[in-house]
Amino acid sequence: PDCSRLILLSFPQCAGEENWVDSRTIYVGHREPPPGAEAYIPQRYPDNRIVSSKYTFWNFIPKNLFEQFRRVANFYFLIIFLVQLIIDTPTSPVTSGLPLFFVITVTAIKQGYEDWLRHKADNAMNQCPVHFIQHGKLVRKQSRKLRVGDIVMVKEDETFPCDLIFLSSNRGDGTCHVTTASLDGESSHKTHYAVQDTKGFHTEEDIGGLHATIESGASGSLETDFMPLGSENLLLRGATLKNTEKIFGVAIYTGMETKMALNYQSKSQKRSAVEKSMNAFLIVYLCILISKALINTVLKYVWQSEPFRDEPWYNQKTESERQRNLFLRAFTDFLAFMVLFNYIIPVSMYVTVEMQKFLGSYFITWDEDMFDEETGEGPLVNTSDLNEELGQVEYIFTDKTGTLTENNMEFKECCIEGHVYVPHVICNGQVLPESSGIDMIDSSPSVNGREREELFFRALCLCHTVQVKDNDSVDGPRKSPDGGASCVYISSSPDEVALVEGVQRLGFTYLRLKDNYMELLNRENHVERYVHLALRWKRQVLCVLPQFIRARVERNAVEGLRTLCVAYKRLIQEEYEGICKLLQAAKVALQDREKKLAEAYEQIEKDLILLGATAVEDRLQEKAADTIEALQKAGIKVWVLTGDKMETAAATCYACKLFRRNTQLLELTTKRIEEQSLHDVLFELSKTVLRHSGSLTRDNFSGLSADMQDYGLIIDGAALSLIMKPREDGSSSNYRELFLEICRSCSAVLCCRMAPLQKAQIVKLIKFSKEHPITLAVGDGANDVSMILEAHVGIGVIGKEGRQAARNSDYAIPKFKHLKKMLLVHGHFYYIRISELVQYFFYKNVCFIFPQFLYQFFCGFSQQTLYDTAYLTLYNISFTSLPILLYSLMEQHIGIDVLKRDPTLYRDVAKNALLRWRVFIYWTLLGLFDALVFFFGAYFMFENTTVTSNGQIFGNWTFGTLVFTVMVFTVTLKLALDTHYWTWINHFVIWGSLLFYVVFSLLWGGVIWPFLNYQRMYYVFIQMLSSGPAWLAIVLLVTISLLPDVLKKVLCRQLWPTATERVQNGCAQPRDRDSEFTPLASLQSPGYQSTCPSAAWYSSRSQQVTLAAWKGKVSVEPPPALSGSRHHCSSSPSHSCPGSRVQLLV
Amino acid sequence: MTWSATARGAHQPDNTAFTQQRLPAWQPLLSASIALPLFFCAGLAFIGLGLGLYYSSNGIKELEYDYTGDSGTGNCSVCAAAGQGRAPPPPCSCAWYFSLPELFQGPVYLYYELTNFYQNNRRYSVSRDDAQLSGLPSALRHPVNECAPYQLSAAGLPIAPCGAIANSLFNDSFSLWHQRLPGGLYVEVPLDRSGIAWWTDYHVKFRNPPLVNGSLALAFQGTAPPPNWRRPVYELSPDPNNTGFINQDFVVWMRTAALPTFRKLYARIRQGNYSAGLPRGAYRVNITYNYPVRAFGGHKLLIFSSISWMGGKNPFLGIAYLVVGSLCILTGFVMLIVYIRYQDQDDDYEE
Repeated sequence: PDCSRLILLSFPQCAGEENWVDSRTIYVGHREPPPGAEAYIPQRYPDNRIVSSKYTFWNFIPKNLFEQFRRVANFYFLIIFLVQLIIDTPTSPVTSGLPLFFVITVTAIKQGYEDWLRHKADNAMNQCPVHFIQHGKLVRKQSRKLRVGDIVMVKEDETFPCDLIFLSSNRGDGTCHVTTASLDGESSHKTHYAVQDTKGFHTEEDIGGLHATIESGASGSLETDFMPLGSENLLLRGATLKNTEKIFGVAIYTGMETKMALNYQSKSQKRSAVEKSMNAFLIVYLCILISKALINTVLKYVWQSEPFRDEPWYNQKTESERQRNLFLRAFTDFLAFMVLFNYIIPVSMYVTVEMQKFLGSYFITWDEDMFDEETGEGPLVNTSDLNEELGQVEYIFTDKTGTLTENNMEFKECCIEGHVYVPHVICNGQVLPESSGIDMIDSSPSVNGREREELFFRALCLCHTVQVKDNDSVDGPRKSPDGGASCVYISSSPDEVALVEGVQRLGFTYLRLKDNYMELLNRENHVERYVHLALRWKRQVLCVLPQFIRARVERNAVEGLRTLCVAYKRLIQEEYEGICKLLQAAKVALQDREKKLAEAYEQIEKDLILLGATAVEDRLQEKAADTIEALQKAGIKVWVLTGDKMETAAATCYACKLFRRNTQLLELTTKRIEEQSLHDVLFELSKTVLRHSGSLTRDNFSGLSADMQDYGLIIDGAALSLIMKPREDGSSSNYRELFLEICRSCSAVLCCRMAPLQKAQIVKLIKFSKEHPITLAVGDGANDVSMILEAHVGIGVIGKEGRQAARNSDYAIPKFKHLKKMLLVHGHFYYIRISELVQYFFYKNVCFIFPQFLYQFFCGFSQQTLYDTAYLTLYNISFTSLPILLYSLMEQHIGIDVLKRDPTLYRDVAKNALLRWRVFIYWTLLGLFDALVFFFGAYFMFENTTVTSNGQIFGNWTFGTLVFTVMVFTVTLKLALDTHYWTWINHFVIWGSLLFYVVFSLLWGGVIWPFLNYQRMYYVFIQMLSSGPAWLAIVLLVTISLLPDVLKKVLCRQLWPTATERVQNGCAQPRDRDSEFTPLASLQSPGYQSTCPSAAWYSSRSQQVTLAAWKGKVSVEPPPALSGSRHHCSSSPSHSCPGSRVQLLV
Repeated sequence: MTWSATARGAHQPDNTAFTQQRLPAWQPLLSASIALPLFFCAGLAFIGLGLGLYYSSNGIKELEYDYTGDSGTGNCSVCAAAGQGRAPPPPCSCAWYFSLPELFQGPVYLYYELTNFYQNNRRYSVSRDDAQLSGLPSALRHPVNECAPYQLSAAGLPIAPCGAIANSLFNDSFSLWHQRLPGGLYVEVPLDRSGIAWWTDYHVKFRNPPLVNGSLALAFQGTAPPPNWRRPVYELSPDPNNTGFINQDFVVWMRTAALPTFRKLYARIRQGNYSAGLPRGAYRVNITYNYPVRAFGGHKLLIFSSISWMGGKNPFLGIAYLVVGSLCILTGFVMLIVYIRYQDQDDDYEE
């Protein structure tokens, strides 16, 4: 080839991807243009480094500190700390500085660790080797050193290191096959084409000598001699080269500019609902704090208005204090009160919550039940911020292929005339009709039958688009099971692969497509060759199925198998030529091409003779149906979002029990909208749904669940975009509202024909609907990434190919079935735990600070602290921190097995039930009550008397210590009361923490600490313990404090038990509960099937027989034309199909 | 063991009870059947305790006298009037006469009580130097800033003991006289002024600075007494074990009270004939009236009190125990009724 030729290529800007494609000029192989071309302006592009980490070694401390102090709470504590440093406040700066330091350090360590992991992942990616062409030679370099303009060589099964323009491949036709499984989840092989002018450059030397310029971008004024490039010339980073030995390409986008990286960046911070309520509570407490400080400041100045109180003779002020401005004084007092009460906002709550989430998430990764033996993968936790959100899910959006199903088709059986063949009951190549359980019309196949049978297998063997990959390496992904023929089948349709493989096991092996002849190996090990007709079309055909096959097909369909009918037609030479002509004419027709083609097909597809039917199983993932059923019982609405056809998707939905027999299906599809206007359809549907729900409100009152009659909605992508499209008159929300209304009434929704972005759109629509439900998206492919990122919780199924979804998700699980334990057990636990954590933290800080507030009324509003500095500092970070942390890690209010067995318990915590304002107010009031008990209990104890037997008097520090001791015991015992799951660790931590308090106090008061400039706690605690009444008071006050809570617990459990409590009591078995809540129960009622209108829908579905693949071929021996028909879906077996539609493909 | 098996083992989580959240655990439930007996038991125990406490508190005798000197309340009003508006008030003495119809069961403790005196005011309560009080010579010369304005005297000398608390040391003194027979002589009742402070305060926390040439006075040389004091600190008592910072009155005073109304122990009566208590007869308390309280609306009281194992008279604990015990029993009954009725309903429900 002419190496010095200048090739000018232009790469158009794709619509809607403005941020991706900028204007750039690339000189392939960094060869500058020949003199005379316009001036060369070197452009700077980023290198091929992928950076997902946030910090570097150097900027970690400043950047992390900055990030942390952007959190309102941390900033607040910083301010408090600074105030303490600057003005004279009642507590030493240590009391808030130490906890703050602790919090910041722990968070920084956690974030640093996470970032280190990200660095490691980045490095692994950036350092993987890449082959370059440099000066005509092959060079290996690290991926990060790749630059725009470099020529890259990619070998088979390697992923592209950056976005490339495809220059040439070792294939003669300049094509290559690519799977984009890790990008969009499509595992099929896509063909990409090399640039025409360069496809001849096969060797390193040739390609090294290439002179070419690529222009891309919005310039618009591209010169005419530039050759346009399209997306078929573009190989994206992340895609994998398949079935092609090697290709050459030139890097045009690298590093963070690749499409994949740009897609990454949309990842945003998700916050859980618990965190939101936490912040709301925090604001309430902030208001309480400010009002407390204000009240005290005002009261102080009112109280001090009499000079003998402000400055009695025994307590004179200094001269400078006297001269200070009144307002300044008042302001400092206000700040001092703020500092005094600032502990009401629990500084350690954040760090405890963070630690709880971080440590708690390990229980997910550790869970053996969620470990997949097959793949050796366990669950992954990518963010621990959303643990509790798993217990709050109201909507699940799930992908179908690869998530619900295994995306692993398997040929189950075929049925020819009266015989059913099952591939795995083959002995020594001998086909045995399955003998048991099937009634056969004719048990001994006649000669005619045998001929039919072989015809059927040949048809299956030939009517497909499967490519054969010669298998050199030992382990291919789809190695044929019997080692005789070592070839691997590849196709964009997994069904076809399954069929060809199945037929192989029945004795017919498809060998290859060679020079327009298809070769197959028959049972006698003879190679047969057939002319390959590149005719292919899809159409639906009506057919009449004979009794036996129909029954069989329906049976299979009920089981969720994908069925296909095969039919043939014998063509003589003249007929064949006539058809060819007809088709050719139709194909080249300039006008009405579609119509003409249809007419031609109509002619061919007449008088087909049915051979039999096949059944292919897209195996549902293990326990998918069970999982979905459990999730629905748990009150979660499950939506299936898929790119698949409606029929296929619906079949899967039935198979996995998303739709049940009594589910009334509502259709909102393009077809229906074509018939009626969108407006009418929507209103009609909403009428159906609302009428029903209206009549159910009465039942709702009587405690019956509204979804006795459940609806399923089917919507397709086109219809959805119509709904989402804003209308001209601006009333766009109208349809949306209506649509949402319908969706809310449906227990299951199936969205088919969805583009990835539409999936996200749906999630967004629900997410921002009126009730702001918590959504969860689960998927395995990159086409699910958008919805995974959009949903509150994104779960990736660790797929066979591509971990894109798993990487972008918040949690990754090996199998769909693990979702059940993830939500029903882990989610439930996390939610219970964290809500208790949050409420408890506020409670214990009310207990802590409210006595201080009360004390101000008895110390002349002088900001005197009730507790010693050490107690103030350590209360939150050591005396009461560990029990709640441990509780929040270990608590199991119900056993794991019960939670799994009885999904309805999930409803008990739905809608943030444990963090509602009512609960919050209860906890706060409880805290206030306890604080009043502590303070006034101690007050009446100490009022005007001595409490020791030696007549000596206690001082203010003993008073505070008594309050503090009662408080520590009360709040710890309160937690003990709430603990339902006492392992030895709980015992150890709860009693240990009380013991620690006592030991610490003994030590703290038992020694004159030389580093302290005050010794006010010296022997205070011990002296207190030497007094009998103090012991009695502690017992009494702790009892009084706990009494109302115990009373409330016992009464609520007895009078208004929640489902959870019933289960705990053991008085309610799961049996009743099932029937109470789940729609499944209605299956048992015999009246339902007859009355429910859904049966009608069903029957229409079952009549629709679709034929998917049909390929004509000419051969010497067998009949010339074959056709297959695929039957989809449906589970209602009791309907005949006198006029089924059949779809044909030639 | 094949390679794949070991590799899987590497990924597979540990199957321990802890990681699988299946640690053996006690799972108690706070159900009525447990709570009911608990309530009744607790209720009965509390009532029993409450009765005991109530009676033992009722057995304690208290005798108190307000000697503030509001006009017409006794002869201390003269002193109060004399001290009005003068700082420092002139020395004055008055007396309180009382008679005991029967034996005042001992041991008897003599307290003084101040009201409306905010020892717990923050500015007041921080105004001390614990290092100085522990006898540290450097702190003696350089009192902490918290002591201001009682840190340095007008002459610039460091004040020892510094701070507002020390400066406002209670300086009234009392002596008790007993008249055994009507018209007879008053005999002084010995007041034991030792052991009124915490043992640890007196022996450990408060220390005098090291003596200089065997003299405490020299040790305090170069310091000034607090402005309100009439005598320097080393002359608080002639007893060398009770003077300086380890004067018991001083130590008692330095333990700041929790509430604005507070008592402090003045003396114990346990010597000689009075160890069993104060016998029947007429008594006189001679009061040296120095301490001004009317300026801040306070009162001074003098209290004789006997002490039991549970301290002084305080009916609160007994009453609280009784109330809580009764409440427990009451709620126990309420719950019992609820429990029985609910059981019926529950049975219906089950059927």
